[in-house]
Amino acid sequence: MSKQGKTRTVEEINEKIRKGDVQVLTAEEMKKLVESSGVEVAFKEVDVVTTGTFGAMCSSGAVINLGHSDPPIKIDHAWINDVEVCHPGAAVDLFIGATNMSEKQPFEYGGGHVIQDLVAGKEVELRATAYGTDCYPRTQLKTTLTKDDLNQFYLLNFRNCYQRYNCAVNSSEETIYTYMSKLLPRLRNATFSGAGELNPLMNDPDYETIGMGTRIFLGGAQGYVIGEGTQHSPKNLNGTLMVKGDAKKMPPEFLQGAAFTRYGTSLYVGLGVPIPILNEGLAKKTAIRDSEIFTDVVDYSVPRRDRPKLRQVSYKELKSGSIIIDDKKVRVSSLSSLKMAKKVSKTLKSWIEEGTFFLTTPIERLPSDSVFKPMRQTGEIPFVVSVMHPAVTCTENEEIRAIAERIVTKSVNHIVVIDGAGKLRGIVTSWDITRAMAEGKKALADIESRNVITAKPDEPLEIASKRMAQHNISALPVIDIEKKVLGIVTSEDVSKLLGR
Amino acid sequence: MVRVLLRFSEEQVPQPITSQIILEYKVPIAILAAHINSKGGEILAEIPDEAQEKIIKAFRKRGVSVTVPKLIEVDTEKCFSCGSCVALCPVEAISIDKDSSVKFDKEKCVGSTCSICVDACPARAIKSVKQTNSEQLANNRKK
Repeated sequence: MSKQGKTRTVEEINEKIRKGDVQVLTAEEMKKLVESSGVEVAFKEVDVVTTGTFGAMCSSGAVINLGHSDPPIKIDHAWINDVEVCHPGAAVDLFIGATNMSEKQPFEYGGGHVIQDLVAGKEVELRATAYGTDCYPRTQLKTTLTKDDLNQFYLLNFRNCYQRYNCAVNSSEETIYTYMSKLLPRLRNATFSGAGELNPLMNDPDYETIGMGTRIFLGGAQGYVIGEGTQHSPKNLNGTLMVKGDAKKMPPEFLQGAAFTRYGTSLYVGLGVPIPILNEGLAKKTAIRDSEIFTDVVDYSVPRRDRPKLRQVSYKELKSGSIIIDDKKVRVSSLSSLKMAKKVSKTLKSWIEEGTFFLTTPIERLPSDSVFKPMRQTGEIPFVVSVMHPAVTCTENEEIRAIAERIVTKSVNHIVVIDGAGKLRGIVTSWDITRAMAEGKKALADIESRNVITAKPDEPLEIASKRMAQHNISALPVIDIEKKVLGIVTSEDVSKLLGR
Repeated sequence: MVRVLLRFSEEQVPQPITSQIILEYKVPIAILAAHINSKGGEILAEIPDEAQEKIIKAFRKRGVSVTVPKLIEVDTEKCFSCGSCVALCPVEAISIDKDSSVKFDKEKCVGSTCSICVDACPARAIKSVKQTNSEQLANNRKK
């Protein structure tokens, strides 16, 4: 500690690491110490706090260099284990994106798995095609490779380590499969991601010590922060990191390929940042608890950019295994592994204690005031709500004759059957009425369809339109979550819009 | 307790076979899961160990196919304890223990009749062995 006793420097900490008397606590241990002994004591006693997270980080990938073939090739398209890889640069540099999927086993094997297999020392198959040039004449290539055959194999993740993330639920009637995993209908489960109080950025929320050049734990080896991650949004505590690390030095344990049913593949990444406790403020910040970290419960059944937020919830509640939504107990699963996050922070702690890992001062701090903007769109996508119109309705006790009259006077083909509360009961078409006349049926109950195909106001019109075609029908009542009829959308509405 | 999967054909569905066996042998049989309609169906049942042999015989005598279902198989090498499966399990057979590891309770798991967790595992560490496989296994054992 420096003379004043109020601050310490990274250089002082590194000197202690060299001497072997550095005091390191994991974030978990630090919180307990601050709780029992207070911030002042914790600052005096602790030099470094190690954090950790282990979650699916889709914006991850690896840069590899293959060396030149003979005759040489300027790769145009390439596949590793049938996963298409990008060729963003010159002849034989490739980028393996974690979410690119195998053409033979889509949704089950992808770029994340290729990275995992290479890291594990497995042999992979490379196929490439090219158009051929005078300097790079070759047009076809097929070979096998291991990581030892590569000149460079760097993990290069452009967005990792989200400070916190949404909790996902599904209010619809159908199970949906998302990047937040399998969401059962009618809020029967919830999922969340993130390590909460162990997350690196949560322990240094003002990015006092984290920035470009910060040495970190990445995938089980030493790596570096190279700047803010994409979609970095510090103002609402959604900071992210862009990181790089030598994948050849990584053990297989902390990088795991993942498959999300009907969403695609990804890569689980283990990432930990050492927080030097340079002042009492940092000692206090690293004491943050799950009960102080909040996130939104978001309804993923609405296929829109801005999905409804049902409530705020703390990571403490999320980690308890269940949360309450509208008086209902909903069980919650974590998608990221807390067990592995703890292992990351413990491993990083042991590296520092053993004197194999030294801390760095960032050469540039992460931005703390940038915002994540939505996409600029030059064309508007029509939604159901933008074309739907009021439905002509009837109740179940009305006579067919009255309904027939209404079809004529209102000049519509569909009458929506509702109950006293305005909720959907069925639908009757002019064709149903015609058939009733032909067959001499009098009761509405005999002719109405009760298995009604519906639309939601927030759906893109294209999806609703496809649903009509799929079921060979020409209208969909538009309903809310409680089945209350909001209107109707017809195939005529769709064609009018297209004809505009 | 031993867990068995009873499979009923279309003709057997209207007959009170399970009740008859319970009454005849005076053995309590717990029904853990049932999927039955007029076309046939399956019951996952639990039988006390000591009565296992005679009860299985009794069902087979009445033409019901009896198999010992394979439960969920977890590849502990692949599982990295994310916990995605935990909240999905309808019988709370999956939990997170004190060291944050995901734990499977084979006793509670209703096995391949449920399988809700299988496609939610990002590590693809959970496998449910389909009933046809365990039937084959049972048949092979007979041979």
